[in-house]
Amino acid sequence: MPTQPAQKRSSFGIQVNYHLCHNCGACVAVCPADAIFLHNSALIINLHVCTVCELCLHACPLQALSMADAGQRGAG
Amino acid sequence: MNSAYDVVVIGAGPAGSVAACKAAKAGLKVLLIEKRQEIGAPVRCAEAIGADLSRPFIDPDPRWVDARIRAFAIHNSRGQAAELPPAEPSLVVNRKLFDYQLALIAARAGAEVRTSSAAVGLVVEDDCVKGVKVESLGRSETVAARLVVAADGTESQAARWAGIKTIMPLKDYYLGIEFLLAGMKGKMDPEVCEYHLDHSLAPGGYLWVFPKGDDTANVGLVISADQQGTSPLAYLERFIGLHYPHSSVLAVISGGIPVTGALKSLVRNGFLVVGDAAHQADPLTGGGICLGMTAADMAMRAAVPALQAGDVSAARLIGYEKAWQQRFGAMHQALYRLRHIISHLNQERLDALVGQAAALPLDHMSLAQIMLALLKNDPLLLIEARALITTGLLLK
Repeated sequence: MPTQPAQKRSSFGIQVNYHLCHNCGACVAVCPADAIFLHNSALIINLHVCTVCELCLHACPLQALSMADAGQRGAG
Repeated sequence: MNSAYDVVVIGAGPAGSVAACKAAKAGLKVLLIEKRQEIGAPVRCAEAIGADLSRPFIDPDPRWVDARIRAFAIHNSRGQAAELPPAEPSLVVNRKLFDYQLALIAARAGAEVRTSSAAVGLVVEDDCVKGVKVESLGRSETVAARLVVAADGTESQAARWAGIKTIMPLKDYYLGIEFLLAGMKGKMDPEVCEYHLDHSLAPGGYLWVFPKGDDTANVGLVISADQQGTSPLAYLERFIGLHYPHSSVLAVISGGIPVTGALKSLVRNGFLVVGDAAHQADPLTGGGICLGMTAADMAMRAAVPALQAGDVSAARLIGYEKAWQQRFGAMHQALYRLRHIISHLNQERLDALVGQAAALPLDHMSLAQIMLALLKNDPLLLIEARALITTGLLLK
């Protein structure tokens, strides 16, 4: 019963700075689109489902998430 | 891993291990899965627990007890501190070893434990949860279960998959960052947990220094996630640079904690949710280890007879939800409001309150007496605290 993917608002996406990310999952809890997964060794953002609502940016204690610039999409 | 179990528990933190242990002890066939490669790691916790609340589930063991706590000291921004004796004997623990022991207890009770095994979806038929899709060491498997217990922590997805609303507003989400520091000798009392109520140190939250034995301590802070553009890491590094400039960092710990009070709905047909996944942490402090274990115990007290009777409908499991509400509902509502009052007080009033508390004989006072004494000195606070009085916090 996962949330239905909503309309994308941006042609870019959220990117993860893996040098900063401690894989704690704080961002997962606030993602309304269920687009973020905490795997064993890496945080993965499903950009097909992500609505770029940016809530996860506010929920990262280490500020490891940011908006991707053009051309960087897919870093998640 | 077999293809069918009575109970599959997702997440081998304290709540999940206690749930698995209780179910296994009742003679049920139990699988406990953990997505991480190792139980207890990485730690995402300040590691303080109440000894009495944890004792029903695990006996204190020198292997994981890092410090025994004599007092909690509440500091204000003027350097004053109110020292409170703990309501129950309190410990600072090594969560990695603590969680490991709890999982071992579950395994020895008969539960099958599997690490590196992530739940990636639920099997739902006829509006009833019937199993879990698991990815384990490169294999995808579907495991049937009569009951699925979601104990998958703050980042829980299983509850959402079951149709339970878990999203919270950012104002009710604590962001935490903590360093395990060495080189703290003489810079802390090894038996006192410090809390700093200072908006300049931790906006909308608090900062802590918890002794971890010898010259080590957990130094961390939480801020509420709606503090736009605030970096918890920058606040912590500034505090440590100022107070413990020559310390070493032995671990960096981060995480998020829902401080909403428990989810309204904790059960579905063939499914229930416990611990941080159920937002059962203390809505004032964010502490959730003992509450998670207690919730897991409550959940299995309802679920084991339900499984034995062959009826795992939500209507049958609702006994768990009711038991939680009865024991913690009103108290957590009051603590939630208290957090909002404290986070909205300006620093001057906060400093005055802590300063006044520091002058009281706190050893000989109940929490109600302390709060009444403070309210007398700040009548405006009395108006804001009406809700606490009506919900009964002061009467406890």
